[in-house]
Amino acid sequence: MEAPPVSVLPITGGTINMMEYLLQGSVLDQALESLLHRLRGLCDNMEPETFADHELVYLLKGQQGNPFLLRARRSLSHPTVPWHLRYLGQPEVGDKSRHALVRNCVDVAASHSLPDFLNEMGFRMDHEFIAKGHIFRKGVLKVVVSKLSRILVPGNTENTEPLSLSYLVELSVLAPAGQDTMSEDMRSFAEQLKPLVHLEKIDPKRHM
Amino acid sequence: MQQREEKLLEASVESLISRVAHLKNALHSFIYKLENEYERLTWPSVLDNFALLSGQLNTINKLLRNEKTPSFRQQVIIPLLLSPDRDEELAKLTEQRVPVFSHEIVPDHLRTKPDPEVEEQEKQLSAEAARIGPEVAQKQIQTLNKLCSNLLEKLNNPRDDRDAESAAIRQNKPSFNTADTNALVAAVGFGKGLSKCRPPGPVAPGHPGQGPMMSGGPTLQQVTIGGGSGQHQGMGPGAPQQQGQAGKMPSNIKTNIKAASSMHPYNR
Repeated sequence: MEAPPVSVLPITGGTINMMEYLLQGSVLDQALESLLHRLRGLCDNMEPETFADHELVYLLKGQQGNPFLLRARRSLSHPTVPWHLRYLGQPEVGDKSRHALVRNCVDVAASHSLPDFLNEMGFRMDHEFIAKGHIFRKGVLKVVVSKLSRILVPGNTENTEPLSLSYLVELSVLAPAGQDTMSEDMRSFAEQLKPLVHLEKIDPKRHM
Repeated sequence: MQQREEKLLEASVESLISRVAHLKNALHSFIYKLENEYERLTWPSVLDNFALLSGQLNTINKLLRNEKTPSFRQQVIIPLLLSPDRDEELAKLTEQRVPVFSHEIVPDHLRTKPDPEVEEQEKQLSAEAARIGPEVAQKQIQTLNKLCSNLLEKLNNPRDDRDAESAAIRQNKPSFNTADTNALVAAVGFGKGLSKCRPPGPVAPGHPGQGPMMSGGPTLQQVTIGGGSGQHQGMGPGAPQQQGQAGKMPSNIKTNIKAASSMHPYNR
């Protein structure tokens, strides 16, 4: 089930339809340092920003086919900061020559009663994970290097185990729908990170 | 004849001075940038500066190597007048760096012999060269020539050859693992391998595990929102407005209420 177009959503009147352009790759733990050095040189000069987030993915199962997915994220390093709720649509199957994965994206901030609210609405938490890593910015481009960890005991964020020996590297841009120039900029930035990381558009459906 | 040579000399000295002035300015601005704006400096712009300096050095070299340039080595500079007084014109010409043309600065500025350390090193090198004998020297020259020609060949050859070789070398130290990439993307995309309190290993996505308290996904028997909506029977009619996003949901809740009423209201 797909979310209806933004014009019908009652959240706020007249929001712009934001699309997320995404390229993903990974880097092994031993090559992390060189990647961070390279990113620090290429991206806007700012204090290196690390983050530790706990993401919960909620599903609302309909009678027909695809469940509706919402992602709720909270910061472990800043516990008082509001939760971040995100909806990501299906990747647009536009023209194959587009270099990045494009999908509809709706972001809202939420208070700390979000998990209870979602439970009351009928959503059920499907899975959760911890993401810890670094974030870099270059203009509108955002590069996130994160280590994903599995939560062994639900609710206990201390007891975690890393999913793999690699860090996930994601290059993303949030832009209003219709701006296709982004993918070119993303591709040239991705070129500069080779051969350390190969950022490419990976369709998650392929790995189901 | 002599006048032509003089004119040539003057012209080449002029152009050399202007090129060196450009180089000096480039160095000056680069050092300024490094010292004052290092927080905002990015690696590509540092590379640009170095490229600029290298280009300017190249033009100076080309100028010196030009056939029209007379050999500067054959010119001799003799100071005609030394005075301990401050010379304003000289100070202006040299941007206040040489205010006095006296006997203190002349040995430094007009020196033709290399520095004492450099002289020492040159002496050592020529002694070494004399020591090893002509055949050994010849062999060393040949090895150097062979290495240089190999390098030139590698650099001039088409890129594909180089890429194939370097790809082979890179195999030894890969910095990313494609399988890991796929696993991570699948985990972030739809929770493959992340099902609650499951041991490592990909689990069929979308099917929640049973038992754990926080998740409490409905079991397969209770099919989807049957359990959830049974809880919210009172909210059913009110839900359509709130669940604006899930447009089709309200109808499902209404129809399921009957089915769910048979279940315990606290069963999630």
